[in-house]
Amino acid sequence: MAKALEGIRVIDLTVWFQGPVSAQFLADFGAEVIKVERPQGGDQGRGVRSIKSLPVGDWNQYFLVINRNKKSIAIDLKTEAGRAILYRMVAKSDVFLSNLAPEMLEGWGLSYEKLTSINPQIVYATNTGYGRFGGASKPSFDMTVQALTGAMARLGEPGEPPVYLGMGSGDAYGGIMSALGIVLALYQRRRTGRGQYLDASLYGAQLFLAAPYLQSFLAGNRDAALQHSRKQVENPLWNLYPTAGKWIYLCEANDDARFAALCRALDVPSLHADARFATSALRAQHNEALIAAIESLTLRYDHQALMTAFVAEAVVASPVNNLADVVRDEQAWRNNYFMKAYCEEVQREVDVRGLPVTLSKTPGEINCLGPQLGQDTELLLMDLLGYEWDEIEALKAQRAIP
Amino acid sequence: MSRALDDVVVLDLTRQFAAALSAAFLADFGARVIRLDVPPVRVATDGRWNHEADLIHRNKESIALDPTHASGLALLKALVGEADVIVTDWQREELAAVGIDYAGACALRPDIVFGRISGFGPVGPDADLPAIDELAAARTGMMPILPQPGQPPIYTGAGAMHATVMLAFGVVTALMHRQASGEGQEVDVSLFGANMYGAALDIQAFLAIGEGERFLNPISRLDVSNPMSGSLYPSADGRWVTLTMPDTDRWWPEFSAAVGIAADDSRFDTHDKRTETNRLELIRELEAAFLRQSGSHWRAVFQEKQMSADVIEQFDYPANDPQVLANRYILELDHPSFGRVKSLGFPIFLSDSPARLERLAPCVGQHGDQILHELLGYPAETIQKLRADGAVA
Repeated sequence: MAKALEGIRVIDLTVWFQGPVSAQFLADFGAEVIKVERPQGGDQGRGVRSIKSLPVGDWNQYFLVINRNKKSIAIDLKTEAGRAILYRMVAKSDVFLSNLAPEMLEGWGLSYEKLTSINPQIVYATNTGYGRFGGASKPSFDMTVQALTGAMARLGEPGEPPVYLGMGSGDAYGGIMSALGIVLALYQRRRTGRGQYLDASLYGAQLFLAAPYLQSFLAGNRDAALQHSRKQVENPLWNLYPTAGKWIYLCEANDDARFAALCRALDVPSLHADARFATSALRAQHNEALIAAIESLTLRYDHQALMTAFVAEAVVASPVNNLADVVRDEQAWRNNYFMKAYCEEVQREVDVRGLPVTLSKTPGEINCLGPQLGQDTELLLMDLLGYEWDEIEALKAQRAIP
Repeated sequence: MSRALDDVVVLDLTRQFAAALSAAFLADFGARVIRLDVPPVRVATDGRWNHEADLIHRNKESIALDPTHASGLALLKALVGEADVIVTDWQREELAAVGIDYAGACALRPDIVFGRISGFGPVGPDADLPAIDELAAARTGMMPILPQPGQPPIYTGAGAMHATVMLAFGVVTALMHRQASGEGQEVDVSLFGANMYGAALDIQAFLAIGEGERFLNPISRLDVSNPMSGSLYPSADGRWVTLTMPDTDRWWPEFSAAVGIAADDSRFDTHDKRTETNRLELIRELEAAFLRQSGSHWRAVFQEKQMSADVIEQFDYPANDPQVLANRYILELDHPSFGRVKSLGFPIFLSDSPARLERLAPCVGQHGDQILHELLGYPAETIQKLRADGAVA
């Protein structure tokens, strides 16, 4: 089957999560992605052994899933001979991607200026922490950057601690943002022949995680920055409610017909007849009372019984599932959001996150999980870069490659 | 100067924030994005700044047409015939009703790239459930574990924002394929898939491990797996501090000094003691230590020692952060009606063809004549007739 990014070669000098996942999107859609790693230990993501204090199990899904469909070449970029290998790769590649600090890249002779002197058409992409301009210089990890955006502080009930949006949530966002920047630059380059450099920073991306609320704040709605209680939302028909089992998310407009349907589903004509809730304006005005009334009713059901009643009246709602539900969710599997892939490390098929962007004629693919450290080094040196065997021996002697 | 997408015409047939912003991202990089304002038209904002429209419809043109009107429908189809891309969040049956579901659009423009945000993906039993981000987030499994124990589930809204960028990425990737092969295709990004992507690490870990109360129930911040990573502590002024220093061996000498614990305190002198044996004790010590100083103090300490840690801020912080303005993540602009305002800017920097703010959101129908004339070649009298018929507003 055709691949959307066939013929695009990407040098992937990234570690941990944001950078690797950017290149993963490109690899899923057919780009040839070559991961460049230090010979000792490689990408630090290879070292992840536990998540939330739980051992990752017998295969490192943190590393192997976001580095799927990639090759690996091990090069010591601190050596001159190692850098010479990378320069030869640059001459033959379309994209250079890194989430290492710009100062580090500069120090290794991998600045944009240097790489364009080798390949003027290169698309040079970085994932900085805080952007190319402005001079901020401090480490950037997902949660410490998310902390600055204001996205955490507005979540949760008033008085509760701020809420982290989930492990790696902001890195994942920076990753897809970076992948978007890269395909934009590639699309333009095919028409104009010109490369350029681009940056998608963790901070810049994460400011969009809460875009509707931040934009509202910028327009003067100070309230948008603050925590809000579910007991006080303006439309009681669009809210979270507890049941005897799981919570449910009710998603209905505050209009008379939908309120009537909800009252039928809950089997409470008295609520429908209550003068305090007779119009949409009154329901908004008496929102706290209505929320309390609905909650006292939903607590009488478990989520399955409640959903059955809602479905009968075409009331829009969903149970609030947990991770054990989602990994069994037929809809997720049918759409390849989850897939099976063969894991060399444990010699069996494993379950992995699949392809969340669905292209009908050039769908993404998972051909293999993440590579062994340096597994393609010699092959790439010979086939792609044209080194002779005695030169490779010399590179080993110089410790440019393992 | 060349723009990344300056040969691309996009029709924006969207209702919701997420898909509209996808189209705006394409417009930011030079695509000609034509917003189809169909009834019911956008409502005016009674004299206040429509900050939402000036974000999600920036750089777009607008034509107001009524597809329930025969000549309005014909016009819609004529526009599809001239488009490279459609971005929509309509349900499939709504699109089919006006003849521009994917099959219909293909008949009008065989190489079209048809980008859509759906609720739950193109196939499967729930493919046509409504595209409501709250429903998708509820299905994803993360909401129960985001809060502290005993608290209600948390809806973040971030899933829809993931979908925005994923759709733009999918569309441009499909344009790459079209550029090489001449072939268009459908691009689907669902709110469900996007919420799942945003929950990547938790979901993948649970998929692989298959069990674990720590994945199914909230973890108290006083029971965090690593006291120095993913943790939250209140400071003296009520602002919270968060740490991401998973490799505690590397950080302990400087960190312990900063929080007033002896580096050789035998309770905490190995990674194992800090994160296993005496984990809860360390959490209690850190809770007390961070309460002794203000958030600003801690930020200065973290900055000086280049520690991976920071203070949790509200929106006023990025709104006034010089770093944000220097990178144009937030723009200061002169609004013709509201003067100097700040608005979310551009998360991606391209050196040679940067995103530009060429215009704020168009008024409904503002570019109707221009679009009909330039894109469809209609003479003035045809345009007048369409207006007289009520097909174009």
